[in-house]
Amino acid sequence: MITTLIGRELLNNLMTFRFAAALLITLLLVVANTVVLIQHYEQRLESYNTSVQTHHKEIQEKQTYSAGEVEVDRPPNPLSIFNVGLDKRLGNEIWIAHNNVPTLWEARMNASDNPYLNILSSIDIIFIFEVVLSLMALLFAYDALAGEREQGTLRLVLTHPVRRGHILLAKYISAMLCLLVPLLMSLLLAMLLLTTTVSISLSADDFGRIGGIVLTSIAYLSVFYLIGLLISAVTQRTGTALMLAMFIWGALVLVYPNLILAAIRSSDIPQAKAVSAFNQIKQVWDEFDRERKQYLATDAFPGEDPTFNINGMGFFYEHFPENRLTLLYLYNSMMTFGELDEKFEREVPHAQNYFQFLIPSTIKTAERAWLIRKQALEDTLVRKANTKRTLLKFSPVGMYDAATQAWAGTDLKGVRDFFDAVRQYRLTVIDYFYSKNAFASRKWFAADEGTADWSTLPAFSFKRSGVEINAKRALPDLLLLLTMNLFLFMIIFLVFIKSEV
Amino acid sequence: MWHITKREIYDNLNSLRFALTTVLLLALMVTNAVKHLREHPKRVQTYRDAVTESLNHLTDRADDSLYTLAQYGPGNFYKKPSSLHFCANGGESLLPDTVEVGEPPVFMTDAEGNRLLEGIWSLSYPDANLNNKNVGPNVSQVDWAFIIGYILSLIALWFTFDAFAGEREQGTLRLMLANSIPRHTVLIGKFLGALLSISIPFALAVLVNLLLISTANTVHLTTEAWGRLGIIFSLALLYTSLFVALGLLVSARVQQSAVSLMILLLTWVTFVVFMPSTLASIASSFSPATSFDEFWKQRNPIQENLWEKYKEGRSSKSEDKRLRAKSEFYTENAERDERWQEERLKYRTSQVHRARAITGISPATLLQHLIEGFAGTGFERHLQFVENTQRYTRQLREFVADTDRADPESLHILGVREGMSKKPISPEAVPRFEDTLNLSRDFNTAAMELLLLTLFVLVLLSGAYLAFVRVEV
Repeated sequence: MITTLIGRELLNNLMTFRFAAALLITLLLVVANTVVLIQHYEQRLESYNTSVQTHHKEIQEKQTYSAGEVEVDRPPNPLSIFNVGLDKRLGNEIWIAHNNVPTLWEARMNASDNPYLNILSSIDIIFIFEVVLSLMALLFAYDALAGEREQGTLRLVLTHPVRRGHILLAKYISAMLCLLVPLLMSLLLAMLLLTTTVSISLSADDFGRIGGIVLTSIAYLSVFYLIGLLISAVTQRTGTALMLAMFIWGALVLVYPNLILAAIRSSDIPQAKAVSAFNQIKQVWDEFDRERKQYLATDAFPGEDPTFNINGMGFFYEHFPENRLTLLYLYNSMMTFGELDEKFEREVPHAQNYFQFLIPSTIKTAERAWLIRKQALEDTLVRKANTKRTLLKFSPVGMYDAATQAWAGTDLKGVRDFFDAVRQYRLTVIDYFYSKNAFASRKWFAADEGTADWSTLPAFSFKRSGVEINAKRALPDLLLLLTMNLFLFMIIFLVFIKSEV
Repeated sequence: MWHITKREIYDNLNSLRFALTTVLLLALMVTNAVKHLREHPKRVQTYRDAVTESLNHLTDRADDSLYTLAQYGPGNFYKKPSSLHFCANGGESLLPDTVEVGEPPVFMTDAEGNRLLEGIWSLSYPDANLNNKNVGPNVSQVDWAFIIGYILSLIALWFTFDAFAGEREQGTLRLMLANSIPRHTVLIGKFLGALLSISIPFALAVLVNLLLISTANTVHLTTEAWGRLGIIFSLALLYTSLFVALGLLVSARVQQSAVSLMILLLTWVTFVVFMPSTLASIASSFSPATSFDEFWKQRNPIQENLWEKYKEGRSSKSEDKRLRAKSEFYTENAERDERWQEERLKYRTSQVHRARAITGISPATLLQHLIEGFAGTGFERHLQFVENTQRYTRQLREFVADTDRADPESLHILGVREGMSKKPISPEAVPRFEDTLNLSRDFNTAAMELLLLTLFVLVLLSGAYLAFVRVEV
């Protein structure tokens, strides 16, 4: 019996104008945008590749170790074509030095693009689905029950010994089958475009991630279909149902996400927590500075000038840069000379001793400061951002967006994976310095007796986390969507069972 | 005709959609007002502080001497925040709000770090903000441009999709046409009825919004601002009538109201939601971005050239000639720097202009640009600000030259300490920078877009007329 019902519903849905229109619009939008998105991705990849090469060349040209601030680039994520998330916006170039544990807030933007173009809006495939699929689901659902009630066919069907639950199920299954056609076909075309692009190579894991995105899209589609069905079950006339469905669509997709972000207060004033953390970090560095001055005072070559009156072709500086908003505070110093005059030869051992003391101490202090900073950043900046994200999730659009970002690896956690790898790499670089005995060496600050050796410095490589990690991150939101589905279906069932025909 | 309009309005007033629309618009407009009241005073305060600081710089330099003023220039310039920021945000958070007065370049120092060769200031244009420190979700704006562009247009379709199709289904259309009413009267009556019944909740929401904003004593609206608000309100009506006409057109052609709504919605989604962003992405990938390095490469040889020229002049025997060579070197260097910066900005601007022109096919973008233009925010406003600073810079340089000419003790060699007046000047005499908005200029830049929008409305209205006249009832 249920198969007959499904068959009837399928025919009813497939042969309609709305189906054709839905298919056409989705295909058109997805294909047109995928082409552009792939092009943008390729541009970013190219600029990444040039940047990696430049940075590699730059570090090889550094003559002293102290001048060697290694720069690392973040590769663009190919799945950002589906959901761009934070992939494009957060910095993609970061320096690694012994005096700071790097975070994403220190990352810079590779400056080959025109930043003014950011004022124009941009979209990704998931955004198209967010808007179009939800609209289609509602358009398929609004007259499912109300329409039949109006035409009287519902009464006719119920005169047969059919369970009401079966009718609902048949309607649900057939409509979902129909809705899947535009979704899967457009995704297929997008995949076709992706796989035929030479510069994009998708791994097995990537296909797993895309599978996750498809799954989430189906759950999202189903939520909106069920919302439409619920409206259809509670209203008597199709006109009213359509109007209500439209209103709810506008409210959930357009109004709520914008309204909620505008309504919550966002202040630029650092919270008390951030201020106290900043002061703590500053104290740690002040302590370091005291030790440093003490060392200089007790040194056999007295005086406070850390350059030991050495002069030559090159430059030196020392300062404490700070940024209260991102809790950045550190000791930055550099001394690098191409050649040294004979007359400074006497001071060189002092300088060597000094740096042998200074650099390990800086590293230790940076680690201590990092412990405080890590927690404080989490408590202030990350938590604030996550509150906003949670609020967005009160609309299915927010859940869908969050889940697909997690699948694509363009969410905050995915981007932070990169910075975790960068922090790990910093330790490698420091180990490399130690293995070369760089801090105690003359090559730390002067290039006259042999230049720094960068040939065996391990290269940085970053691999995105495995698909199982993406799945773990996406699961909460996916489950929320599924629960919502179940919940809606139960309500519809109850309403429909009790309703008079 | 008036009867039809009145009937339409009465019909709509009692409907569910009218109530929902009112609630929705009120909620949006109140949020908009509250947000503006919360943020605008802060914005104004930051601006005032910054302006005071740069004025202090100017005063200090003028008090010191004319030469110091000529060398260091005024303080940085800041963009005045628009009091109509709530009408259109215009991506203000991404645009820079300042034009910087660059430090005089130092060409040579001696062993003790004393500056031997020190040039004069030049304008420099900071890059757009990157927003790359923000780990939160994308910030969206509930400004008037969003409310009108997205919500109001959707509402217009919502009110008109069943204008003819619904009546045809009920059979009342045939009844109405049985009376001796010409069809165009029916059409115009319907059009006015729908437009007015949308205007009622919208006007109400706008009224509440403006009441909240104007009664707060932290925000002040000038008469000109009210004039601009009036223009924006009429723009909203024009834009709404576009969608009302579209709704009538489709409704007249289609037999069922449900199908009519579907077509309308799909059209709306394509034109309002997707068209602007897709076209923008396409347009921005047209022209390749030029990297900073490339621009930098263009700059270096010029400077070397200047340096060579100066070296020749430096060895001259006459003191006067030496000074003149120095002055020429300084001013040319500043000019070249400024021109280089300006070219870079122009290149980027033309990229954005091209993209904006292409997105103008979508009426939603047209409206966005128009509201931005009249609210004094967004990209065009930024360019106007940049132009203002450039004009002021010329004015200030003329002032310096004139004042120097008036001093008999000066050698009138600009940009060099030894060749210029060293007398302090009264800060009051120095021209002040004023970042002004010009309504007639805004009209000029908006004229094309305004025309296009009106054209859209007329085409759709005549389309609706043709469709309705020829349709069988």
